[in-house]
Amino acid sequence: MRSAVWPRLSCMGWLGRGQRSLSLFSSTAPSNWSKVVSDAEKIVGYPTSFMSLRCLLSDELSNVAMHVRKLVGTKHPLLNTARGFVYDSRNNLQMRGLVVLLMSKAAGPSHAASDLLAQDMVSGIYPSQRNLAEITELIHTAFLVHRGIVDLKEWTNSDGPLKDMQFGNKMAVLSGDFLLANACTGLAQLNNTKVVELISSAIGDLVQGIYHENAPNVEESSPTDGLNVAAWEEQTFLSHGALLAKSCQAAMELAKHDKEAQKQAYKYGKHLSLGHKLNSDLQPFVKSGVGEPVSFSLNAAPVVFHRQMVGQDKWCQQLQQARTFRNQLDYSKLWAAVKSEKGVSSAVDLCCYHGNKALEAIQAFPSSEARSALENIASAVTKF
Amino acid sequence: MAVPWRQCRRLSANHTSTSLLETVCHLSGRTAFLSSASWRRGPGSGSGPGHRGLLSAQPSHVTPTYNSSLTRHKFRLLFPTLQSCCCRRIHSDVKLKDPFALAQKDLNHLYDDIKKELFVSKAELKSLCDYYFDGKGKAFRPMIVVLMSRALNIHSNRDGDLLPGQRSIAMISEMIHTASLVHDDVIDGSDKRRGKSTINEVWGERKAILAGDFILSAASMALARIGNTTVVSVLSQVIEDLVRGEFMQLGSKENENERFKHYLEKTFKKTASLIANSCKAVSILVSSDPEVHEIAFQYGRNVGIAFQLVDDVLDFTSCANHLGKPSAADLRLGLATGPVLFACQQFPELHAMIMRRFSSKGDVDRAWQYVQQSDGVEQTTYLARRYCQEAIRQISLLRPSAERDALIRLTEMVLSRDK
Repeated sequence: MRSAVWPRLSCMGWLGRGQRSLSLFSSTAPSNWSKVVSDAEKIVGYPTSFMSLRCLLSDELSNVAMHVRKLVGTKHPLLNTARGFVYDSRNNLQMRGLVVLLMSKAAGPSHAASDLLAQDMVSGIYPSQRNLAEITELIHTAFLVHRGIVDLKEWTNSDGPLKDMQFGNKMAVLSGDFLLANACTGLAQLNNTKVVELISSAIGDLVQGIYHENAPNVEESSPTDGLNVAAWEEQTFLSHGALLAKSCQAAMELAKHDKEAQKQAYKYGKHLSLGHKLNSDLQPFVKSGVGEPVSFSLNAAPVVFHRQMVGQDKWCQQLQQARTFRNQLDYSKLWAAVKSEKGVSSAVDLCCYHGNKALEAIQAFPSSEARSALENIASAVTKF
Repeated sequence: MAVPWRQCRRLSANHTSTSLLETVCHLSGRTAFLSSASWRRGPGSGSGPGHRGLLSAQPSHVTPTYNSSLTRHKFRLLFPTLQSCCCRRIHSDVKLKDPFALAQKDLNHLYDDIKKELFVSKAELKSLCDYYFDGKGKAFRPMIVVLMSRALNIHSNRDGDLLPGQRSIAMISEMIHTASLVHDDVIDGSDKRRGKSTINEVWGERKAILAGDFILSAASMALARIGNTTVVSVLSQVIEDLVRGEFMQLGSKENENERFKHYLEKTFKKTASLIANSCKAVSILVSSDPEVHEIAFQYGRNVGIAFQLVDDVLDFTSCANHLGKPSAADLRLGLATGPVLFACQQFPELHAMIMRRFSSKGDVDRAWQYVQQSDGVEQTTYLARRYCQEAIRQISLLRPSAERDALIRLTEMVLSRDK
């Protein structure tokens, strides 16, 4: 069954990745992201479809899939999230799982644990580490889904029927909960309470990070919230870094590697995630493509740097100038304002800093194919 | 009532009661006594009011059958107080408070300790997470966990005092329960719970879901810190059951027996699994005997199902606001619970309404009327009583203790509660 289903999915994933990479890492990207990823996938053995069959083919999720069709034509975010499972790899669905597997392989077999058998390893990775990679993906996906819950009171009738939104919410809550519940039972089966505690705390981090993210449609709600770079890093770690950092650490714990190995794995996951987020926040500002409409979050790293540099007063002034008569934001004006200062280059510097920190951390492990792949991934996030 | 109608009903009633019975027995596994001791005895003997068994219009007619059974006899020997408890639904207030009083000293700082587990730096998220841990809940699940722990500790030749892990499980059971309430309220679009506005009503759906997720992650961390992998597995199963139960509520079954089985299975997953597995978890911490684990699990399972059956009855009998939510709330959500499923056997007109989830205009009112005219409420109550009897049978296998007896009295509270 694996062979029957996966080629289809991975083929779609590949298509999506190709498309995306054209726009994302356009002209000059010397080390193409998608190539880095697909090379890395070969190293860890079977393809990176971690969302287990058990989950994807379950009655529950096929039930949801059936219901989600009813949402076609509505504006519920769940629809886009669901589409993303098939087409989009910009959010790097399964990227986290891949890193966990590479990290496991780079760290190699355990020397400390007698109950772990080297012959159980597949492509140099313990089964429990593979399960962990899958759990990491389940949790990440669950929160992609839960992020898209719509606040019904903010929904106006001009946006579409309220009923569709209620229904979409119901599906989003249920499918997100289902993925989380599977992650919980999967965690329990790892038989390591330290790992359960670590990954559970990552779920808590994720919630805290996401909680203050702006909801999709209310980007302009709080433009004057004073978010400085330090706060941005802290929050971005919670929402984008903690899960990968702690999963990398947990992969070491599962193979009974020592505290130092756990610490370096954690660091790699943390800095890679921050670098990756900076890279994607920077894309609208480094792309050379002209004519495409610019759009970016006001909480994107270059904007946050910019705000901090020009000061709150000037930023408010710039926001004011960018407002059109219908009180909407003219993003190209803001874009120009941000580009004219040093916000972008500071964000690029920070991105390189985190990429290098990740490279540094991975040097703690012996040289290997898997380590090279992790190095390539860390380098790729610093390329524009 | 005209005789032919009666007889006609009796025939069909007997037919269905057997299959319902099989359903129940199939689900409960070891509860074969349900059929052999009294249930089958009724129809088998062919005389007396007990003849109509499960579908008897008046539960009082059933009780005599039950009274004469061996099981009843055994109960009476074991628990002299049970006679008044089990058959009449009149109690003094003192008796009702008893299990609470016994568990009280272990529950004193429960909510404070839960709030300590919910460690968040951001003030708003913190207030959402703490919202339902205001000390005004019944703490029904922690109470069972505490009493069960003490009863099991004494059974295992220790003093009753809680082990630290058992105390954590009392806390975790309330946290998992609350997290699922928060999500349920979003799914059902509820705006009131326990007499106050729901989290989604005050802060919106998106934040409510995240708060629920956070409470769950905190519960999961506390669970991991107990340091017992079996306990982690047992309680993780609960989280999966809760979601699967919620999914089961999305669909309706065409076939009547399937539907009843589906209903009881959903009831186990959504309500009883948490109680059963929490009881099992505390037993694992004190005993290595699988039979003891099974007693704890079966007690929790049977009490949990009875609890939900009574809840479903109250949706039809309690006036609005008494429960903290409007009555017939389940019908409005499109859900066919015990009283409706039983009523459907008398009034087949309900079948179509169940299948379309009471979505046509006037369905809710008509279904309500049918249920009131039927004996669906009595039969559901009767079924709840059977589950409580099985719970008592299970817990009676433990060595006597004040806490064990409190767990027995607690089943009566489950049956007699009105909110």
